[in-house]
Amino acid sequence: MRLKKAGYQGIFLPDLGIAMDGTHPDADYTFVTHAHADHMHRNRSAHTHASRPTLRLMEHRGFRGSSEALGFGEPLVTDRFSVTLYPAGHILGSAMIYVESDEGSLLYTGDYRTPPSPATEGFEAPPQADFLITEATFGLPIYRWKTNEELADEVRTFAQHTLEEGYTPVFLAYNLGKAQEIMHLCSDLDHPIMIHGAGHKLCDVYDEAGIDLGPYEAYDRESCEGKILVCPSSALSGGFASNVRKKRIAYCSGWAALESRRTQLTVDKLIPISDHLDFYELIDFCEQLSPKKVYITHTPNPDVVKHFLDERGINSSFLNLEMESDD
Amino acid sequence: MTDSTTFHELCHTIQTIRETRGSNAKIATCADYLSQLSDDTLYLASRFIGEGAFDNISGKRASVGSRTSGLAAADFCAIDYDLVFKPCRTATGSSSETIEKLMFATPAAREKREPKKWGLSEIEEVFDRLFYVSSRSDKQDILLDTWQQMTPVEIKYFIRMLGQGSLRIGFETRSLVSAIAKAFGHESETVRYAHMITGSTGKTAVLAKNNRLDEATFKLFHPLSFMLASPIESRALDSLDGYICEEKFDGMRCQLHASGNEIKLFSRDLNDITKSFPDIISTYAGKELPPTVLDGEICVFRDNTIQPFQLLQKRMGVKKPGKKILGQYPVIFIAYDLLYNGSRPIFDEILNERRTQLRKIAREYNIPMTLQFQVDDREHLETLFEKALAHGNEGLMLKKEESTYEYGQRRKSWLKVKKPGGTFDTVMMYAHAGSGKRGGTYSDFTLGISVKEDERYEEEFIPIGKAYGGYTDEELKRMNKKIKELTVEKYGPTLGLLPQLVIEIEFDDVQINKRTKAGYTLRLPRFKAIRWDLGPGDVDTLKDVERYYQQKIDAERTDQSENPSFFRPTEVEE
Repeated sequence: MRLKKAGYQGIFLPDLGIAMDGTHPDADYTFVTHAHADHMHRNRSAHTHASRPTLRLMEHRGFRGSSEALGFGEPLVTDRFSVTLYPAGHILGSAMIYVESDEGSLLYTGDYRTPPSPATEGFEAPPQADFLITEATFGLPIYRWKTNEELADEVRTFAQHTLEEGYTPVFLAYNLGKAQEIMHLCSDLDHPIMIHGAGHKLCDVYDEAGIDLGPYEAYDRESCEGKILVCPSSALSGGFASNVRKKRIAYCSGWAALESRRTQLTVDKLIPISDHLDFYELIDFCEQLSPKKVYITHTPNPDVVKHFLDERGINSSFLNLEMESDD
Repeated sequence: MTDSTTFHELCHTIQTIRETRGSNAKIATCADYLSQLSDDTLYLASRFIGEGAFDNISGKRASVGSRTSGLAAADFCAIDYDLVFKPCRTATGSSSETIEKLMFATPAAREKREPKKWGLSEIEEVFDRLFYVSSRSDKQDILLDTWQQMTPVEIKYFIRMLGQGSLRIGFETRSLVSAIAKAFGHESETVRYAHMITGSTGKTAVLAKNNRLDEATFKLFHPLSFMLASPIESRALDSLDGYICEEKFDGMRCQLHASGNEIKLFSRDLNDITKSFPDIISTYAGKELPPTVLDGEICVFRDNTIQPFQLLQKRMGVKKPGKKILGQYPVIFIAYDLLYNGSRPIFDEILNERRTQLRKIAREYNIPMTLQFQVDDREHLETLFEKALAHGNEGLMLKKEESTYEYGQRRKSWLKVKKPGGTFDTVMMYAHAGSGKRGGTYSDFTLGISVKEDERYEEEFIPIGKAYGGYTDEELKRMNKKIKELTVEKYGPTLGLLPQLVIEIEFDDVQINKRTKAGYTLRLPRFKAIRWDLGPGDVDTLKDVERYYQQKIDAERTDQSENPSFFRPTEVEE
């Protein structure tokens, strides 16, 4: 299977004319796994296939091209290949792209999380793939996540204790995905939530999908005290809730697993809740698909992942999407 | 009373302190924990938090380096040290944190570990066993055995305690002293004083608990933390009123304890260095001093002239100097303070009073002591400064006449005035992943000088020193961006760079170091400026370094016959 680079960080399959998470001039079909900025393109002239929530989120984030929604598990069949989307459990709408053709089967994971984020459509994968292109954001054996239940408990307990002590809880969470997951986890508390404006405009897509985000509204500086606040970490230095003196801050990210983040960000709590799978889940997933070849992307440590796959007799190599030039 | 706090409870408390923001809240957490403990466990808990595995003054060290514990952890977790452990350590920026995480995460560690309830005294026994064995493999056997029965967070702090340094929880000795005071209802100042005397956080805590702080008495031959000076630049000084001035020697700080013919010397890090200086010992043993503690400086002294630090270096760390070296580099101990005056400690008396008593003892027993000068004005200060430099000294010390001896602190009472160090233009050769709060960025740099035209070398540049710090967060960001462009090789946490980025570094001194490629190392190298305007062609050469060194040694030094920096009261007075 030949692989080329498409756009900034995407993949182009020249033999099938398929571009994924990037555009390519020779592509007949362009797919987007999910609506995070490093995966969605903004090229108006590329007719785009993605899940319905992904397309809705892309529109909110400025995509203006033509598109077609593809349901999970509903194959798009052409004379050369068939493409099926599988829910990736990363954020709402996130999909893994499964391509079947005479060249064999290929699964491109995009970003994924299993067990899935509770604020998504869940996680499902094909039983087998000849070629697996997988992200490995947390590609080191120091990364083993706590269970979803433990993390949900940490989030709720932090919010509850902080409120009980008369402080305002602030969750630092990325605007799309993590923010809504935190809100969903807090929805049981039935306490007013305020979310940063950029994230707020994306919430209606979650509402449409039937995911409960609790009693939320857009951030308002004057009335935010005493509510559960959600914003990206960049907003905090921009004055978000700077008028609230009694507040406690929790940083919610897979990177919160690293102690150094505490001093770098000056936060009260680190909640290592990631929307990527951990290292062990990654290795297990590779093994489970029994691929002929694994291509590793999106990682600073491909050698470590490869080393562990080698030990399990799985052939793999690093696919450097950030550095490689077009040809 | 929980007579038996477990090591797990201790580590849990330490982690809570780590996660608590604000020193008052941290102190409250710690005080709450300490207040529940019995004497024995209180002693150990305070020692483990404040000093590490051992009492600092015991001189005991576990001697478990990060490679020893890293290799043992890789073995325990069944991972490859170079291929897997090192990249993990780069990501976290901390060896002990990496081990904590691997102990939680790896299947091998999860299967092997069966945590038990360790009492603090059992942990103390393990520390002692590590002290008594010397080979790396023996130490590793003990580590593996112990870790098998610990939780990941216990393992992390166990390793940090072995380092006998900071636990890195934002809770230093001063906070612990406050926590002890709070736990047992004393004034911080009283506890601090007892800590100065005992030199032990563990003992201090027990005395505080039993309302016996007044029993904390100074013991001869137990070192006392040194009073430290702040650089004058860092302390805006409006007026010189109340300050007296001495020349600042470029020697080795030393505390001399004497009683009759028994003499002991302690270095600034409270290590016993008696054996390295038999010449001082025999000189002072002959004096038959009453119980006395002097604070002062050791310098090489020859031809009535104070010799450069570079020569003293030949004596430092030599445990049993031979006749030749003693003859070549004779040393002198010059006193500038008195802490014990024959019958009692006097560090809470003011400097002028201590000096009066020092002078008396010096006169009676023929002890060299610093001269003090009244400073009339800034101009006069300048003159004194020039004279100090002419003596080959580093600069001046300004001391507040009314100040008590503030052990272990850097405040305004003592100020040092030093000549700015030399500078070289160097090129950045390697960038190293930072650790601690700089984890995740490249913040430590190996800097090189040019040997392009040097027939002794084949390279274009060779390393001259490593610097971290002296730049702003903004500059660090900009450098990291540039470093990305310049990276040509990657060795684990280290990036090999195209030699293009020029850094002007400042340093205190140049020293010979045979173990380095250049043959020299810089003392206290730090960033002065990032020279975005210069290129690799502008970098200073090894010859420049050699020239600087030679000039330092050859520099004219006025001897001590006129306008001296120290004197022997017997000779001049009366």
